[in-house]
Amino acid sequence: MERLSDHARISTRARLVAVAIAAGGMLAAASQVCAADEVTQERLLNVGEEPGNWLHHHQNYSAHRFSTLKEINRDNVKNLKVAWTMHLGGVEGGGIWSHGGLEGTPIAENGFLYVTDGWGSVYKIDAHGGRGVLVWKMDPKTDRDWAGAVACCGVDNRGVALWGDLVISHTLDGRLIATNKETGQVAWQRTVADPDKSEVITGAPLIVKNMAITGVAGAEYGIRGWIAATDLTTQKEVWRTYTIPGKGEAGSETWKDSNNAAASGGGSTWVTGSYDPATDTIIWGVGNPGPDWDSAYRPGDNLYTDSSLALDATTGKIKWHYQHTPNDPYDYDSVAENVLVDIPGPSGPRKLALEANRNGFAYAIDRTTGKFVWGVPFVKKVTWTKGLDPETGKPIEYDPNKPVQTYIASVTPSRTNMESDICPGNMGGKNWPPTAYNPDLKLWYVPVIESCNRVKVEVMTPEKLKPREFWTGGGTSQPFKITGSVTAIDVTTGKIAQKMETPFPNLGGMLATPDLVFTGQPSGEVMALDAKSLQKLWEFNTGGGVNAPPMTFTVDGKQYIAILVGLGGAWDKWFIDSTRELKKIQPGSMLYVFAL
Amino acid sequence: MMAFNASPAATSILLVSVVALNLSMSGLAYGQAAQAAVSDPTNAGKAVFSRANCMGCHKWHGDGGGGYGGDALSLRKTELTKEQIIETVACGRPGTGMPFFVRGAYDTISCYDMTRQDVGERMPPEGGTFLRPNDIAAVADYVIAHVKGAGEPTYAQCTTFFGNTSRVCDIYKAGAESSSKTGTEGSK
Ligand code: HEC
Repeated sequence: MERLSDHARISTRARLVAVAIAAGGMLAAASQVCAADEVTQERLLNVGEEPGNWLHHHQNYSAHRFSTLKEINRDNVKNLKVAWTMHLGGVEGGGIWSHGGLEGTPIAENGFLYVTDGWGSVYKIDAHGGRGVLVWKMDPKTDRDWAGAVACCGVDNRGVALWGDLVISHTLDGRLIATNKETGQVAWQRTVADPDKSEVITGAPLIVKNMAITGVAGAEYGIRGWIAATDLTTQKEVWRTYTIPGKGEAGSETWKDSNNAAASGGGSTWVTGSYDPATDTIIWGVGNPGPDWDSAYRPGDNLYTDSSLALDATTGKIKWHYQHTPNDPYDYDSVAENVLVDIPGPSGPRKLALEANRNGFAYAIDRTTGKFVWGVPFVKKVTWTKGLDPETGKPIEYDPNKPVQTYIASVTPSRTNMESDICPGNMGGKNWPPTAYNPDLKLWYVPVIESCNRVKVEVMTPEKLKPREFWTGGGTSQPFKITGSVTAIDVTTGKIAQKMETPFPNLGGMLATPDLVFTGQPSGEVMALDAKSLQKLWEFNTGGGVNAPPMTFTVDGKQYIAILVGLGGAWDKWFIDSTRELKKIQPGSMLYVFAL
Repeated sequence: MMAFNASPAATSILLVSVVALNLSMSGLAYGQAAQAAVSDPTNAGKAVFSRANCMGCHKWHGDGGGGYGGDALSLRKTELTKEQIIETVACGRPGTGMPFFVRGAYDTISCYDMTRQDVGERMPPEGGTFLRPNDIAAVADYVIAHVKGAGEPTYAQCTTFFGNTSRVCDIYKAGAESSSKTGTEGSK
């Protein structure tokens, strides 16, 4: 009953908005919005032509997070200062969470910033004139207890996308929302994910050809993952591709159990993917299988969990997949962004997709064929495998004839090894915080968690699978101190070029400019490093916890660096014991903007 | 911080509206029911359960269960007495993730006859907020009255906890499966 009336209210409102627009608002709006403010596929394809803007979540379709702006450079970065700040909201708790945090990447267009807080409120900020002024805030009134009870890893929202005169965003409680860019009024919204099935949304949408692509979280609660495309004109679903094949579909043979494990097999998709317009291919990472640590519950390779998936953007059909950790017993998911790079090869340019995996290895895959090119460990300590097979890139111990993979069995969680220390820890060598790629230097910067942790296995049975309850097959504890690094990989050789160690794990991610990289620490520091030596050239302590990536933009011809600060996410609930000093970091919600 | 139902006024408004909705079915007189609900002596304990974030680990229903960080025990299946619950909440449980909630535990307040030194590495974490003794007694009363021995969580228990402003309780409704389908398709 309640729910029906809820929906009735939303659609009535949508109709009212539509009526208002039809009644003449449209004409006025159309004359105000000059064509340059309308975001088109043309503009999204050619972001290099407007370097002062930051139009994509990952900066460009190739997920480079590289800006050619160089007013701020190696010589003057030491003079970087706070230009202005803005307090945001969204720190409220809900469900199992005592507070929200900030993980978003601001979007910048023509001097305006669009940022989100953890509960999905969107803020439009006017950055002209050397200060920030809030233009509007769209509060989606997220159902906090409903969504927060099934968000494994925090009250998170990683940002918006722009399309036409709309700001496109997600909410934790499963909605895709289109907000009028000028007025801040919700134009329409659509339910894409269902928290009743433990589906929540934390990622920013990817816009491809008038579609918003949405990923889902919930592999810790027994979801069956998917990637969905919504037509931004008709507001209808164009396709939804499940990351776990249905019965009889290709890949279903990799679920060999009699528990119907595939139906609750996980495979979340909560990090925004990338897009290759040359082949009309979306490349998107897929998360861990569930239950996370009781791998014997789900014998087989468990496709397409722990894989990079290439999808036909028009149909959603799977073109190829590359699986990193078959029958994963560690929670080493592959949700990370794929960074698309072209490098010279012996027989013409090599088109690669790079992914820095939670399992501690960075991979280069041929993005035309899905074949392995190279892999390299980017963390200091990997204990679960001796290394990757140089031909296939599979872990050396992988045996396709074994239903349950044990890798190096003495340090792998299993029903015979109920408590086990793993390195990297289950948060991985790299989690969602994004990498950045400098195409001039061909260096790829990975925000690293240098870690081990302890996994306790719980043997699962089908009766233990309950709606909206954890489906992890165990849990972790943090007996070891966890640190971090920024690790640069030379993409032409697949070798580590540099490593700059940090006292804390990198929970924020990277920004690259021609001769600098920017990043932050959960202990509060934002820093600039030399792009080649990774030597620290500048640092500012925000007094909060950096849990989001930096970006850069221009307004009034001047370059700024912006970053959201507010420690939330999984770390301060589940992993804080490994970084005890971070217990004193207070919840917060603040935008910092720096300039010379 | 921002505990759900923290203010008694808000709580009673929620309860009144719940009662009002059920009025025709229950046949109870409005005033009677509202009064009975508001004066449930364990409401204070329920508020502590939210405010001290017991639900962050044990969930609203107290059944705990696995999590990224491991198991919080089920308070529904607990066999502890009120006194034992009070001690567990005040002092936490050494060597586990169950925090202590009383200021000065293992220092000025005696816990399991151990000092901070005795408990050493097994020192439990500090709760996110400290509770006064009467808060701790209240939450123990609440656990005994509404959680311990309560079986599987029900819709009625859920709406009693949250009120009816959230969809969090919908899955406990009879026929939740089919209504959850409508949830996804409903508002395209
Ligand atoms: C940070 C997570 C966390 C929070 C917050 C928390 N607990 Fe616990 N609690 C646990 C864990 C973990 C255990 C299991 C300890 C063990 O393994 O013996 C536990 C055990 C208990 C037990 C013992 C159950 C038994 O049968 O032995 C009680 C009672 C309890 N908690 C009550 C509470 C109350 C009341 C609150 C709020 C004031 C609370 N807890 C807050 C994690 C938590």
